[in-house]
Amino acid sequence: MNLDYKQLDWKLIGAALLLSLIGILLIYSAQFDATSETSQNFYMKQMIWVGLALLVFLIVINIPLRMIDFMAYLFYALGLVLLMLVFFVGHAKYGAARWFSLGAINVTPSDIAKLALLIALSRFLAYTKLRTHSLSRLLISVAITFVPVAMVIVQPDLGTSLVFVALLFSLWYWSGMSPFYILLIISPLISLLAAFHWLAWIVYLIILIGFILVLRPGFLPGAFAVSINLFFGILAPIAWNRLADYQKLRILTFLDPGRDPRGAGYQIIQSKIAMGSGGLIGKGYLEGSQSQLKFLPERHTDFIFSVLGEEFGFVGTLIVIGLFAFICYRGIQIAARCRSKFTSYLAWGAMTILLFQFFVNVGMTLGLMPVTGLPLPLLSYGGTSQILSWILIGLLVVADYHWTEY
Amino acid sequence: MRHLSTSTDTRVKISGTLVTLALMIIIGTLFYHQILRYRFFAEQSESNRIRIQPVIPKRGLIFDRNMEVLSDNRLSFTVSLVPFERVKNVTVPRLSKLLGIDSSEVEKRARANFVSRYMPTPIKRGLGIDTVSILEEQGPYYPGITYSAESVRRYPDSISAESFLGHVGEVSQDEINSEKKKEYRLGSLIGKSGIEKKYDLLLRGLEGTKYIEVSAKGQIVGPYEDKQEIPAIPGADLVLTIDKALQKFVVKNFDSVQCCGAVVVMNPKTGGVLALASFPHFDPNIFSGVIPPDIWQGIIADTNHPMLNRPLAGLYPPGSTAKLITAGAALEMGLVNENTLLKPCFGGMQFGNRFFRCWNPGGHGKVNVYHAIEQSCDVYFYQIGQIMGVDPWGEYAEKCGFGSKTGIDLTGEKAGIVPNSKYYDELYGPRKWSPYLILNLAIGQGEFIITPLQLAQFYCGLANKGRVYQPHLLKQIIESNGDIHDVEPIVSFTLPFSRKTLNILRESLKMVISGEHGTARSLRNKYYEIAGKTGTAQNPHGDDHSWFSAFAPADDAEIVVVVLVENAGHGSEVAAPLAGKIMKYYLVDSRQKELTAQKGTLTEQP
Repeated sequence: MNLDYKQLDWKLIGAALLLSLIGILLIYSAQFDATSETSQNFYMKQMIWVGLALLVFLIVINIPLRMIDFMAYLFYALGLVLLMLVFFVGHAKYGAARWFSLGAINVTPSDIAKLALLIALSRFLAYTKLRTHSLSRLLISVAITFVPVAMVIVQPDLGTSLVFVALLFSLWYWSGMSPFYILLIISPLISLLAAFHWLAWIVYLIILIGFILVLRPGFLPGAFAVSINLFFGILAPIAWNRLADYQKLRILTFLDPGRDPRGAGYQIIQSKIAMGSGGLIGKGYLEGSQSQLKFLPERHTDFIFSVLGEEFGFVGTLIVIGLFAFICYRGIQIAARCRSKFTSYLAWGAMTILLFQFFVNVGMTLGLMPVTGLPLPLLSYGGTSQILSWILIGLLVVADYHWTEY
Repeated sequence: MRHLSTSTDTRVKISGTLVTLALMIIIGTLFYHQILRYRFFAEQSESNRIRIQPVIPKRGLIFDRNMEVLSDNRLSFTVSLVPFERVKNVTVPRLSKLLGIDSSEVEKRARANFVSRYMPTPIKRGLGIDTVSILEEQGPYYPGITYSAESVRRYPDSISAESFLGHVGEVSQDEINSEKKKEYRLGSLIGKSGIEKKYDLLLRGLEGTKYIEVSAKGQIVGPYEDKQEIPAIPGADLVLTIDKALQKFVVKNFDSVQCCGAVVVMNPKTGGVLALASFPHFDPNIFSGVIPPDIWQGIIADTNHPMLNRPLAGLYPPGSTAKLITAGAALEMGLVNENTLLKPCFGGMQFGNRFFRCWNPGGHGKVNVYHAIEQSCDVYFYQIGQIMGVDPWGEYAEKCGFGSKTGIDLTGEKAGIVPNSKYYDELYGPRKWSPYLILNLAIGQGEFIITPLQLAQFYCGLANKGRVYQPHLLKQIIESNGDIHDVEPIVSFTLPFSRKTLNILRESLKMVISGEHGTARSLRNKYYEIAGKTGTAQNPHGDDHSWFSAFAPADDAEIVVVVLVENAGHGSEVAAPLAGKIMKYYLVDSRQKELTAQKGTLTEQP
């Protein structure tokens, strides 16, 4: 079974490739140091990573979808085993054991687990005979997600566990679950967070009631949703006030490391200054290297978007955002027209992971979201992240190619 | 709910809308930062730097039970170096000249206290306003140097405060590693011992953070407006069970008499410690700044070991004060009753091939348990010890709280040793030890080792119908938001003696003072009855240690006093009179003072 390469979605591949190339350029700039002779060669490594990722991409688009389908749970199990391994041979980087060495390569198993969860959830939701809104379907999919979430949250890696949860919600939605149900499940959590400020909580509650009025789920479920939110909203401040100050601080720092002023909090200030000072067209390539950002330890990984903003300005950031928007647009299109449920879910999930990480990372550099340590897909420095991104692109491309098949 | 199921088409529309919305938010924020606030950020990136300044919270104060200050803070200045802003070959030499310390020493401290390139690294603490005003006037001359006002711990009274308050000092790398508490960083102050260490988390509060904008010349422009200050949360104030006036009285009277020893005063009804002192004592204020080497050398080299916290870490044989364990055990086991007369004492008794002497060469004749305790007759206790055996005795001693820590809320407490046959087997080899070792234990000598605090705890039980409250110092926590938490006394354990036995023991202890031949007759007074026991502990390194352990008023005790004076001979001669003074001060003098004071305020009223 040979692929007809002319039939591949070259626009999508082109957009992704462009992002990877921009990534290499930015990494070069981020680590560029005119005064130092021992310039770090991260961009060289990244070029190798991109090459490797493209190779993996080629393999992925040639794997028959049936095989992925067939091996889904095996792959899931493998992902969990790799996550387990982190506990035993993991290296702690910045206080979190997230990766381990495999020869010369540092593997981040959480990236592999993202893929494993995507395939397993797609398979379960596509083939289960359980009714869409049945409790068993809900609980089994929660269980499939919860195991890897529990394993990464103790590492501690809040960002990756958020990706898992977002994937679950997104696939629930795409597999036909009513948005109201999903809202019902998420809303107490939002209530819990929003309750820290009474105004935020009331605004949220009004929005929730508005949603219920639009969606019209019927009186009982609606009343239930409102009351459970009231319950959590009132409970949270009470429970919170019983905690000691230092316990509160720990929880807050866990939820938002940006609160830790000596670490991430400082990075966010610098990131905003760098981006804001970029202006409309930026300071020019390599010209931003003298700025504050020079002193950011993570500028080639988590804060790569700030480098972009500083050197290429509003125009540069708009171009990258546009490319991601295009990938998202194509992703939704592909998922919508696939005839096979499994393929459709796979494509939808792949798009979700890419987009969610994009939003969280960019939101972080702008100070809109907590610092979670999620890389920017395709752009950030890192081997496993790059390869994972290209596997996801590969899944989108292959789903598109075979969209007529069942 | 069928009408809720969505078609693929609607799902595409909804999700498309949501994604577009999210993208708009991102683009909007970027527009705001990069276009609308471009000028602000561009200025920031060109000239000014943002410096992170920790806001040190006020360390909680420590009060005595009457809200008298035991430990407070005074203002001092700390000069710090911001590594990121230092200028090579300029900053350090100028700073070293200003502070009068070597350049290499400055470098060493800068490395040792390094946290982050952007954070001030403390170089020298405890500086006066003169140094700071130089920095204030000639700021640009000292690039990368900053100072901060800081509170330094002060212990206003010389009251052997180190033995319970402890002191604070700079946190060490080991402490950061072992405690794994994020609240500490290098250069921050931490409680090193005593109450200061035990309740450090309460006292220290939570550090806040200021973001300060600094111009290219190193001058502070002001707070950075784009990031709000995180305020510090002051530490909680602690109220202790200590009575400062009593503590002062104890220290003054001990100092005027003797060099070395310990005093523990407790309330038997709560376990609250009223006074706790170790002698010789020293001024814990020396730890607040950098300790001058000569003073430090003097303390370490002192052969009287002022650093040893004797009430809880000093280990001594209890002497005759421990005869109460032996008597109580014998009564409980039914080996004797209150009327049993054992073989007479003729100044000693032959056991095997060795003659064991009584302290009184004149002998005590035939005595029952009352008179044995009253006159502290060794021969009586040798005999019941021999009948009892090592292990039953050891079991009772352990149940009386010896051989294990009391769990007082202080640091460095020792457990002591209660020997039993297993202990002797390990020490001397199985069966290679004399069966008469028990005779020494029965009178509180030999390998039996206790702390003064354990003895006070035991006498609290004797005074309080067998119920022993957990010894403690913390009485109340006053949080910075005004919340007050009272510490409830808890029962730690109950003495293994019946009510009858306890009554016999208490009556015997009274006779030590009131009896015709009592060893502490000098303490009789018209105000209240005392129950107590003298002790003389043989010390292989020198003169005997003198003990006195007592409670008063005997039938409803409000105070337990244990006095230990090292190398002072008989308990009745040195320790007992001092304990008597302490009891009189607490039960009579201080209350009379209060009464007259009250009367005074009454008469002043028109």
